Amino acid sequence: MKPDIDMTMVHDGKRWLARNGTIEASGSTLEELDENLKALIISNDKYKHATSVTVFMGFDYSTIPTWIRQYHTHYFNRYVTFDL
Amino acid sequence: MSNVNKKWYSGMLSTEDWWAVWIGFFLFALGLFSLLGVDLVGWFAKTHTWALGHPEKGFSTALSATGGKFFGDGQPNLLLGQVYETMSPIISFLMTYIVFTALACLGAACMKLDLKKFFQGWTVIFIITWACWIIGHEAHFKAVPSEWADYGITWGLSLGGGASYMLALVVGLIIGNSMKGTAKFLSEAAKPEWFIKTAIVCLGIKVGLKCMEAAGFTLELALAGAAATFVAYMLFWPIIYTLGRKVFKLPRQWAATLSSGISICGVSASVATGGAIRARPVIVVVVSMLIVVFAMVELLILPPLYTATSMDEPIVAGAAMGMTVKTDGADAAAGAILDEMMVNKAAKMGMNWQSDWILTSAIMTKVWIDIFIGLWAFVLALIWIYKVERSPGQSRVGPSEIWHRFPKFVIGYLATWFVYLGVLFIAPGMTDIAQVGAYTVQSPMRKMFFMLCFVAIGVITDFSKLKGMGRMALLYAIALFVIIAPIAYAVAYIFHHGMMPLAAG
Repeated sequence: MKPDIDMTMVHDGKRWLARNGTIEASGSTLEELDENLKALIISNDKYKHATSVTVFMGFDYSTIPTWIRQYHTHYFNRYVTFDL
Repeated sequence: MSNVNKKWYSGMLSTEDWWAVWIGFFLFALGLFSLLGVDLVGWFAKTHTWALGHPEKGFSTALSATGGKFFGDGQPNLLLGQVYETMSPIISFLMTYIVFTALACLGAACMKLDLKKFFQGWTVIFIITWACWIIGHEAHFKAVPSEWADYGITWGLSLGGGASYMLALVVGLIIGNSMKGTAKFLSEAAKPEWFIKTAIVCLGIKVGLKCMEAAGFTLELALAGAAATFVAYMLFWPIIYTLGRKVFKLPRQWAATLSSGISICGVSASVATGGAIRARPVIVVVVSMLIVVFAMVELLILPPLYTATSMDEPIVAGAAMGMTVKTDGADAAAGAILDEMMVNKAAKMGMNWQSDWILTSAIMTKVWIDIFIGLWAFVLALIWIYKVERSPGQSRVGPSEIWHRFPKFVIGYLATWFVYLGVLFIAPGMTDIAQVGAYTVQSPMRKMFFMLCFVAIGVITDFSKLKGMGRMALLYAIALFVIIAPIAYAVAYIFHHGMMPLAAG
């Protein structure tokens, strides 16, 4: 699946953060993150004619403590489609 | 630098899991050269039983190059064999250090570890490992009573090869719990999972060789392990999850992550489950700390318990161990100790069992568990997103999640197993020379990785981390000893009942 927007996701201890070079959104839950991200996309001129936008959010595993990484190599990735 | 698993090949050069495969394959490939008539692994140092002060079997005989044993009358006598037969033990040890340090540092550099800290930590762990290995081979620790006269001793602990493992574990635990500064210094290189996964890839060679002498038994062991694992996990997870939610009142995400950790394969399962249910990473970190400490408790208690109570069902004990002890490192370590203790005890009772069958049964159930976790996490993610949370955000779970969570070292384990099986099936006349390279990789090299794992797992285990864990630790203890261990043993009994290690000799 080819997403329209490619982002990296982390959790800073309090909030989920999704970002790439141009967009950054956050939320205390993933639902809130998605709502905030959707609002940013709607306000972005690049997507003003789009009817839906699919976003890939890949969890940045380097934010997991080093000692745990040897046990498992993946947290999760998500694809979220926003109907605009 | 971010680290996102996006492509199917993501992580091939940057994870311990893949580096266990690459190092295992490299050693395996070197071992295969014996089929071409040249021994490229015989330089590896091998420990021997020695006795303090003995005129002929003293400390100077504690080490030698492995390849020397395959040179002489009645031996395959491959190219370079004579070099190894006359090689100084010091040169052999230095070559072992240099080659394995280079491999480990190459992996560490690709994994973007702090190379200087890794090299320093690795060197210290390597020296501790070999010191424990050699000391554990002193006759008073290792030799069984029938060997005492050979070494000129009149008493001993008769611990067999388990003496070195226990010593390495104890030294690691002392460092991890009473020398915290040293433990921190060593932490960059203390990678028990990496070491044990590399050992398991090498163990595949042994299983391939075992198939030649007992193909039916090996297949039966593999299938029984799969069936037992499947049945056990259909019981474990729902029981622990219900206990966590209803009795211990844990929030849903905590209960699910902890249930997977306790029930399935420890830290790996809790990370996979945490990801599948989109839990905050802190939940995974806390649960993982608990699992690592309890895995050590399991490792210390279960091998002597099963040795005392299950000598008539050794394969059942091995399989039960695989389903009970969490994390690959602790399970393989517990399986290795159990194997040594049971084979040793059997010898004292007049039964000669081949070594490593009990270990193999423990590893086989664990490998099946590791394979299942990717699939289980995928199913759990579907249930969580579409049924439990039912978020309207059209979030989708891609099947690539299964691959990203698949334990890659299993590929190495199966590949080395089937390649050796294939070679020996196609050319049975080459069994003797195939054994030369295979022996060094699957026995002393593999055991060195076990020893490294023992030291490293001790170093990273800090019992003080249990403080403040309260009801989670209590739930873990109850679940482990009242639910997991008894059910695992019962299920292992159903599927492995009557299976015995082959007779030695």
